[in-house]
Amino acid sequence: MLRVRGHSITKKLTRMNMLVSGAALLLACLAFVAYDVLAIRQAIVHNLSIQAQIAGSNSVSALLFNDPHDAEKTLSALKAAPNILSAHIYTTGGLPFATYSRERGGKAPTLPAIPAGQTEAHWFKDGQIVLVRSIIFQAKPTGSVYIQSDLREINDRLKRYAGIAAIVLLTSLLAALLVSSIFQRAVAEPITHLAGIAGVVSRDKDYSVRATPTGSRDELATLIETFNEMLAQIQERDGALQKAHHELKQRVQELARRAQELARSNAELEQFAYVASHDLQEPLRMVASYTQLLGQRYKGRLDSDADEFIAYAVDGAHRMQLLIGDLLAYCRVGTTGKELCETSSEAALEQALLNLQGAIQESSGVVTHDPLPTVVADGSQLVQLFQNVVGNAIKYRSAELPRVHVSAKKNGGNEWIFSMRDNGLGIEPKYFGKIFVMFQRLHGREEFSGTGIGLTVCKKIAERHGGRMWVESEPGKGSTFYVALPERG
Amino acid sequence: MTHFRARGPFQCAPKGRTAWSRSGPLSQFMAVFLAWSLIGVSSLLAQQPKPTAYEVKAAYLYNFGKFVEWPAKVTAGNNEPFTICVLGKDPFGASLDATIAGEAIDGKSVLAKRISKPQEALNCRVLFISSSEDAQLKEILATLEKTSVLTVSDMSQFTRRGGMIQFVDDANRVRFEVNLTIAERAGLTLSSQLLKVAISARRNS
Repeated sequence: MLRVRGHSITKKLTRMNMLVSGAALLLACLAFVAYDVLAIRQAIVHNLSIQAQIAGSNSVSALLFNDPHDAEKTLSALKAAPNILSAHIYTTGGLPFATYSRERGGKAPTLPAIPAGQTEAHWFKDGQIVLVRSIIFQAKPTGSVYIQSDLREINDRLKRYAGIAAIVLLTSLLAALLVSSIFQRAVAEPITHLAGIAGVVSRDKDYSVRATPTGSRDELATLIETFNEMLAQIQERDGALQKAHHELKQRVQELARRAQELARSNAELEQFAYVASHDLQEPLRMVASYTQLLGQRYKGRLDSDADEFIAYAVDGAHRMQLLIGDLLAYCRVGTTGKELCETSSEAALEQALLNLQGAIQESSGVVTHDPLPTVVADGSQLVQLFQNVVGNAIKYRSAELPRVHVSAKKNGGNEWIFSMRDNGLGIEPKYFGKIFVMFQRLHGREEFSGTGIGLTVCKKIAERHGGRMWVESEPGKGSTFYVALPERG
Repeated sequence: MTHFRARGPFQCAPKGRTAWSRSGPLSQFMAVFLAWSLIGVSSLLAQQPKPTAYEVKAAYLYNFGKFVEWPAKVTAGNNEPFTICVLGKDPFGASLDATIAGEAIDGKSVLAKRISKPQEALNCRVLFISSSEDAQLKEILATLEKTSVLTVSDMSQFTRRGGMIQFVDDANRVRFEVNLTIAERAGLTLSSQLLKVAISARRNS
């Protein structure tokens, strides 16, 4: 196929060369012929004019002394000019005076009128030329000469021209063919070669091939050079791309492996924490129950130090029970969660407020909310989330009556952003991270009760739903907690 | 010849079955029309009346002046007109004056003069000697012996008797003979154009 294409460009070049040289020659020939025909015509007219002048002036005395024979003798000298068909002399009155005709029996035609103010006129007609000249003798018209000539000179010359033009055209075209076949090697072959290389590159995606330089310093050589440079650049980039692709693939695999490992170890850890805390509950209950029993039965029977120590032990056991309970709750978010389904977040908030009814009433707090959307979520976890955040707002209230407002809006990324704004103590920005970490507390146990796991659980719930949780706050001005949940689970 | 050819169709009428053989009103009309037109053509040709012999001779007298060269002493006088003289009984009547009216030769106006004595011809360029002077020809020519007057006449044997140009009436045409020796002796140069249309140009006197 490439061969055929290359062939066609050769043909095109040849045809172009032939056409150009042929057209140029033809035009040149036509111009020459046209010019020459005009020149011959002028020359013929000029010759006839001279002949008419000679015949006329030699016939003056014949005309003046009424001697037609003498005039005819003068005219018969025109025999020497083979192109002159007939010649006539007329009197001033336009009457035929003397006649010469190449063929016998020629009759003088009516004298054509010469345009006023001229002494001579000629007409080309039917392959002949007719020239009429008035005979002026001593500034007086004495008669007229009429000469009729054929144009065989022009026709003969045209025929000769046609022959010469045909021969010149033929030889020139042959020469053009020869020359173009030589130049084709310099033009068509590199192009064909280039097309072939381009075909290989495009078909096989092989960027290592190179076009062979022509050796001459022309546009074609530049084209081939540039083509090769482009190929080299493509090859280089292709290599780099391949390498980068390979590296990226490796890195992604590594990351996936690590993520898998991490998830596994995380799951193991959770499992371990759950199992550990669950199994720790039983012996701890034992410790708590019996230290409590010991405190009740032997109160006052041991010394006062013993009573105090027992009280510490009971308190520690209780606290440990709380911690283990919270730990279990945290673990359960991941392990015992229900399936996600369409859930009314408004209903979830109502339920959470119901659960917090006592605390809210006790603090005389007001919780308001905008209409809330339906989201894909675990309903009970959503309740827990609202309950923990609103509960915190009530717990960490400032001197004012606590006010909490819950609203939701969509952001551009197909997420529902829930915001829970309170007028509580607020949090310093440097603690924004810390509050979501397990068992991290900003206040002493003496100020506020709790284990410091509530927000950790909330964050984990948000993350389990494919969402995020963060806070914006300023100390003394309250806090706003944000939870982003994907529109579709 | 034109008449003959035009009459052809009428002659052929009884033999050939041409369109003319029918004697319908149209063909009759055509025949009449053709005849009329032929008459018209011939009458048109006849409209130019054939010039009389002396009208032609008058023109020739004038035309000779164009083909003859006079010696410098004659042509030097700038203001002198080109005079054509007629000696003896004038045969031209008004035709000579009509011919030369308004004409000029070599930029000189042409004048016609009737004279009765050869002595009056000394200033003439061309002298026509009427036949009436036949008897005195010898004396006349002797008078003009040393002058350059072109002598013309239509009396017989004029060139043999010492005249230069003699008119000869030849089959309805006026022609002329030349005696070159006499003309040359008078210092006149006759152009070859003139000589070639002459009947003869004799050299002996």
